[in-house]
Amino acid sequence: MANYLIRRLNLFIATSLLLIGILFYATHLFPVDLGYALSGIQYPTDAQEAQIIEDYRLDKGSVRQFLAYTGERLSGNLGVSVTSKRPISEELLLALPASFELAFVAGLIALVFGVPLGVIAALTHHSALKKFIMAGTLTGYSIPVFWLGLTLALWFGVKLGWLPISGQINLLYEIRPVTGFMLLDTLLSDSPYRIAAFRDALLHIILPAVTLAVLPFTVVVRITRAAMVNVMGQTYIRAAEARGLPYSKIVLRHALPNALIPLLKHIGLMLGPFASYAIVVEVIFSWPGIGSWLVSGIYQRDYTVIQSGILAVALLIVFSSILIEVLYTLANPLSRKEFYGSN
Amino acid sequence: MAQTKIYLDDAIPSPAMKVWRVFASKPQALAGLWGVGMLLLLTLVGHYLAPFAAEFQDPDALLLPPSWNSNGTVEHFLGTDDLGRDIFSRLLYGVQLTFGTAVAIVSSALVVGVIIGSISGMMSGLKSSILGHLLDALLSIPSLLMAILVVAVTGPGLSNVFWAVGISLTPQFVRAIHQTVHEELQKEYVTAARLDGANALQIFWYVIMPNVWETVIIQTTLAVSAAILDIAALGFLNLGAQAPQPEWGTMVLQGLDSFLTAPWTVTIPGLAILLSVLSVNLVGDGLRSALTPMRN
Repeated sequence: MANYLIRRLNLFIATSLLLIGILFYATHLFPVDLGYALSGIQYPTDAQEAQIIEDYRLDKGSVRQFLAYTGERLSGNLGVSVTSKRPISEELLLALPASFELAFVAGLIALVFGVPLGVIAALTHHSALKKFIMAGTLTGYSIPVFWLGLTLALWFGVKLGWLPISGQINLLYEIRPVTGFMLLDTLLSDSPYRIAAFRDALLHIILPAVTLAVLPFTVVVRITRAAMVNVMGQTYIRAAEARGLPYSKIVLRHALPNALIPLLKHIGLMLGPFASYAIVVEVIFSWPGIGSWLVSGIYQRDYTVIQSGILAVALLIVFSSILIEVLYTLANPLSRKEFYGSN
Repeated sequence: MAQTKIYLDDAIPSPAMKVWRVFASKPQALAGLWGVGMLLLLTLVGHYLAPFAAEFQDPDALLLPPSWNSNGTVEHFLGTDDLGRDIFSRLLYGVQLTFGTAVAIVSSALVVGVIIGSISGMMSGLKSSILGHLLDALLSIPSLLMAILVVAVTGPGLSNVFWAVGISLTPQFVRAIHQTVHEELQKEYVTAARLDGANALQIFWYVIMPNVWETVIIQTTLAVSAAILDIAALGFLNLGAQAPQPEWGTMVLQGLDSFLTAPWTVTIPGLAILLSVLSVNLVGDGLRSALTPMRN
């Protein structure tokens, strides 16, 4: 097992280095001065220029430059933003929690509604219902997310006027960021209107979270259904039936846990598309997360924002997919067979 | 009547025939196949069918609703946008930009992916793992981020979409093919062929490849639908196809200004994207359920 964990750690380090290498290479291709692309300072004073050359070893060979670049980025020096002139790391720390909040709520919606629906689709003998669920998920899988977001915003935001369609919270509420998660911050704040602010934040998150949840929801339903159909045909389910266990107990205690294992694996594979969708959703609903930050960065050709945004998101995805893979191995004894045999 | 058939038992269908029979027994899969066929046809001849040129602006018909609305006319079947351009014609022109580009990207990614994936799958040990995992870092960059990186380097445009989406799709092909080849290589029929004296190339082409095509086909349909969605999303974010081009995602972006007064400028291109992706997915779904029982 230790061997396996070390291998995964190596994979993480190697992939991260490769990622930084890709970004390092891309930085050289940016159509601006290298020092500007690295630091974000367009017109440096002599002292700043000397500092940039010193920091990134611009007078040395490319290997030394790469090592210096890696060191600077990993130690948290991401340069300053070209447009706001503030350090990137500050802006990143403000934007990340908002994105996490949105992704977390969307993922929660997808799992809470997706798993039961997948189980129902697998167990029902009502063929019309089954077909309806499958057709619905296939359609949900095919909807362009920006179009769905716009349509939902038009109906529920503008025509019906039920839900706000922009931002994280009404700007009238002044909430001091503690955790960065608006839903928690409103509850933690000591202002007299915190319940009203919490309700407002909750209303603001509904539309973006539902839009973002559509893709993972459809995938969760389909994977759960396929896994559940597979598990219900196994002999141990028949054995449980033969012992006379109630049907609900068979499904909940014997079938569902085993059906959730393949789901875990697919969640890991889904992270990339999910992040792409999250960027689009954040742009549509002006969610102050890392996606809209990145897209405004590209509109303004803010090279430091682009680099560090991509680095942060990609590293997060690499880390979480390796974490999910490890969890999958822990949860699934069958996948451990390989290294019991070989070691 | 002359008895031409001497033996009463049925002819045994070929594997391809079996797949087709299972596939054709599902009406939704066939509908998807018709849809994809139509899209392929429109990619080639859409220009000739369009009643107006893509950039033709009719100043007398600004924001005309679709023809089923009481204010619409049949001339502009799906209405016009805020510059008086015929949406139906633009959709027909856009098939080539959205669907055609998606197919082109996927075919290039497929060729590269098959080559790298099968070479790395056939090798073993460190070499294979280096080749097989070389592109994994790219796999972890989502397609949109890749596009942002490419746009930062070269500026927006449809040709950059080609690179961005292509670079993010290729590792998926490499990984899928690498894994399948690697798995097949462990099986006993390969050992049997090797004992018969087949060399590596023969094993690869005659023994393993016939069993890999299924994975390739399934992966391709998945990739086409992902590519269409990516191209449209990039067009919508103004990072892909640029303003006057009738790419479907770009059309949604352009319709956004008049979304409240004329929702069809957004709804109709969006529906076009939805229906094309849906038909590709229906075909993919049908193929998967037709191929899976054969593999087991």
